[in-house]
Amino acid sequence: MSEERKFICVSCPLGCGLTVTLDDSGEVSKVEGNTCARGASYARSEVKDPRRVFASTVRVKGGKLPVCPVRSKTPAPKGKLFEISEAVARLEVNAPVKIGQVLIHNVCGTDADIVASRDLEAV
Amino acid sequence: MNYDIVIIGSGITGASIARELSKYKLRIAVIDKASELPAGASRANSSMIHGGFDDKPGTMKSKFCVKGNRLWHKLKDILDVHLDECGSYVCAFNDEEVKHLEKLLEQGKANGCEGLEIISGDRLREKEPNVSPDIVAALWSPEAGIINNFEAVNAMIESAKINGAELFLETQAAGLLLDDKGNIRGVSTTKGDFTAPIVINAGGVHSGEIASWAGDKSFRIIPTKGEYYLLDRTTQGFIHSFLFACPSKAGKGITVLQTAEGNLMSGPTASEQEDPEDRSTTPEGLAEVLKGARRLVPKFPVNMNITTFAGVRANTESGDFEISALKSPRGFINAAGIKSPGFTSAPAIAEYIAELIKSELADRITLSPNEKFIPERRNIPRFLYMDMAERKALAEKDPSYAQIVCRCETVTEGQVLEAIRRGARTITAVKMMTRAGTGRCQGGFCCPRVAEILSRELGIPLDEITRHGGESKLLAGKTKEPLLNRKGAVSE
Amino acid sequence: MSERIDVLIIGAGPAGVAAGIGARREGAERVVVIERDWDLGGILQQCIHPGFGLRTFKEELTGPEYMHRFIEQAHNEGVEFRTNTMVFQIDRDNNTVWTMNKERGIEALNPSAIVLTMGCRERPLGAIRIPGTRPAGIYTAGTAQRFVNMEGYMPGKRAVILGSGDIGLIMARRMIWEGAEVEGVYEVMSWPGGLRRNIAQCLDDYGIPFHLRTTVTKIHGQDRLEGVTVAEVDDHMTPIKGTERFVECDTLLLAIGLIPENELSRMAGVDIHPVTGGPVVNDLLQTSNPAIFAAGNVVIVYDLVDNVSDEGLIAGASAAKFAAGKISPNVRRIPVKGGENVRLYSPQYVTGETDATIFMRVTHPIEGACRVFAEPNLYSQRLRYARPGEMNEVHIKAEQIRNAPDLSEITIDIQPL
Repeated sequence: MSEERKFICVSCPLGCGLTVTLDDSGEVSKVEGNTCARGASYARSEVKDPRRVFASTVRVKGGKLPVCPVRSKTPAPKGKLFEISEAVARLEVNAPVKIGQVLIHNVCGTDADIVASRDLEAV
Repeated sequence: MNYDIVIIGSGITGASIARELSKYKLRIAVIDKASELPAGASRANSSMIHGGFDDKPGTMKSKFCVKGNRLWHKLKDILDVHLDECGSYVCAFNDEEVKHLEKLLEQGKANGCEGLEIISGDRLREKEPNVSPDIVAALWSPEAGIINNFEAVNAMIESAKINGAELFLETQAAGLLLDDKGNIRGVSTTKGDFTAPIVINAGGVHSGEIASWAGDKSFRIIPTKGEYYLLDRTTQGFIHSFLFACPSKAGKGITVLQTAEGNLMSGPTASEQEDPEDRSTTPEGLAEVLKGARRLVPKFPVNMNITTFAGVRANTESGDFEISALKSPRGFINAAGIKSPGFTSAPAIAEYIAELIKSELADRITLSPNEKFIPERRNIPRFLYMDMAERKALAEKDPSYAQIVCRCETVTEGQVLEAIRRGARTITAVKMMTRAGTGRCQGGFCCPRVAEILSRELGIPLDEITRHGGESKLLAGKTKEPLLNRKGAVSE
Repeated sequence: MSERIDVLIIGAGPAGVAAGIGARREGAERVVVIERDWDLGGILQQCIHPGFGLRTFKEELTGPEYMHRFIEQAHNEGVEFRTNTMVFQIDRDNNTVWTMNKERGIEALNPSAIVLTMGCRERPLGAIRIPGTRPAGIYTAGTAQRFVNMEGYMPGKRAVILGSGDIGLIMARRMIWEGAEVEGVYEVMSWPGGLRRNIAQCLDDYGIPFHLRTTVTKIHGQDRLEGVTVAEVDDHMTPIKGTERFVECDTLLLAIGLIPENELSRMAGVDIHPVTGGPVVNDLLQTSNPAIFAAGNVVIVYDLVDNVSDEGLIAGASAAKFAAGKISPNVRRIPVKGGENVRLYSPQYVTGETDATIFMRVTHPIEGACRVFAEPNLYSQRLRYARPGEMNEVHIKAEQIRNAPDLSEITIDIQPL
């Protein structure tokens, strides 16, 4: 039995409505509704291994702000996002922080690094 | 804590009494359950200084309103309070209402009002082009004005404090203390007992309940809600004064006015309710205000609304104020049922209370003049209204005046710091004292900044700062805490 | 005499930083950007989620990352920044700009040209007049975002979000990621205010209910918010009796729209468009005051920061040209008119001095093939759909205008095919 799944592409602000057809073995046989190649690859990833970029803050000691924004450098498995948010919550770093600085390697056993997304001076 | 006089309630009535009595050598305590002033009806009203033509000759209202009006015109400079001496119009839409204007004119003359005049609708529209073309005549009262009520209450109580009175906020009266002869010995409160031979009930919408503690059941307070629209200050000049419709049984009706700060405003409704603390606005009330506003000012630009609010006024069955010194228990004075024109009347009521103490309670306390009484009080500097030379000089002297905290009302950090020095502890207190947060963004910009300054200056964590005391905390702890405290969260 | 400044820019958000770059590249010698915050970047400092700059940088950056790239460019171009400094007045008679700063005090600046890049602010609760009480716990989504992302504090534990503007959707997910609850998002209109992908990745991903044609009709609670009443609305946006429901929450976040921030523009005597809420501008982004230019959300609220930066570059370049006396006071002024399905658009005039991009939003969504066009025969483009939440563009080449000396009016519109 083939199966159809519908969702909104989040790759860009257009937000195309995608329809993905899976064949009997669960493989993607068709992607419709996308306007670009990013959409097609998002569709494939979304049915097999959905991922999202995680963005939050970490606590900072001695910085101009008490928290510094961070993100996962690459999209992380969607199912791991809460675990990642807890791991990031436990972290406290010392100022100064540099943009792009890796704060957690391979967070929660995923292949995504948590990096700082701004410079934060020390006070 | 021992005092000569305890005043329950620090609305405009209580604050004015405190200031008046601070002209004598007395230990005065003013208690109020609120976390900032003004709180009750003194915060949410039309901020009108009435001309005094509206009340029947012989009533307490008529007596105190005209006198209070005259006092405010002097006090505005002494206390550095913004009073727009703009005058008021009562508008008539038909012949019958014109007859009512004539009646008001005569009544006003009898009350001692000056300069009252009935003008044609066309002349009104020359001065106020945005009023309804259907208005045929208006009663002009040049003595009427519009006061900044936030400033006025704070000015009164500050002046009283300068002269020795003590203010206790977040202190709610719980009952009266009587001596073994059944006379007044003080007030019990949520913060302990305040003893004094004289207790003054200026409890506003709660004044009926407080009077009943003294066994005085001679009057009943009917909490009456009034709802309002307040518009952006860019509406300044849409009208320039205070417009009444002809009064009905329900009250003076919906008015349209320009506040002392230049905002267009309209209200109030008059709906009686049980709960003296219910200050919620209602769809029906707001619709009624809008209808009334559009009747007077057809193009009332309600799309420029920045907030709606409601006040609860202390109406009485008699319709008049309830001011007296009780025979029993001796030492208990009512300054109760003070509703419109209460703000106007307050300084005159205060003088009367002092006379009442002299004439009727001389056995309990002697009023000897306080030679050190300082009448003047200066407001927190208002950056918005300064010229550039003044601003430069102030910023040079104190750099905190070169930092804007509230964009809408151009309030500087220096003003917020000064408000904190003068006792502000909450976001709303800073708002009442500096106007930070009263503008078009209603605190969206300045609230976090004011909270930070309060936190820094008072040395308390940001998440302990409240909007208006009690449980009104702005924030719910730090980020990360909910995650770290979550059940099943993986610990390190 | 005050110091010489060629181009003074007010606000170091995405529009202002780009304007600085644009002005320097056009040859302006002294370009100064005034910023009231201690740091550069404007509102993007607190927009820590990815989603910015795909068009400009071919990758999705977070707000701070996006600004970091522009700020580095601006520094390289020699743009000067003055932080912790606020412009609090512009005199309309001589374009004197008054600034304040704790160290420098109050100063008057007389630049040759000014660029307004103050951005926008959020519509507050008062704008929609919800009855009820006024407890703590009611914030615009942006204020809450600042508390969470920059101060490290939670606005509450259980939130209701009113309005479906993007910041509200983003904050819904942000609250979830910080361990708070989001009861639902309520939108009075029949369509979402924000981008569809944000409905998907901020709400659907976390099972947050999204209610269209529903609004908050009453606020409850004396000290802290205790809950709200929500109700469905009819075609006139009037609450439908019998659909009211009490929702317990301690936080109400408002994402009910953005308003260009034009207090200073008004002081400066710049004409403000009644619909956009921003200055009336031509395609050089010149306002009704010829020495004053404007760009970004101060002019019209954009969806994409890439557009804001592009407009900033144009405004900065135009201001530099003006400062150098290179913009004639007699440039053509061909009015642009919006057709029946155009709610708002900017610029309102085309000069033929530059290629023009006109940004617009439709009044009613068109779900299906449609055409965006500029008449007479200046532009036509097929679209798959047109939605109020997503801006559309019309592009007109300078030579098209130059080749049409008799052109007296341009009409833009979007209509179904």
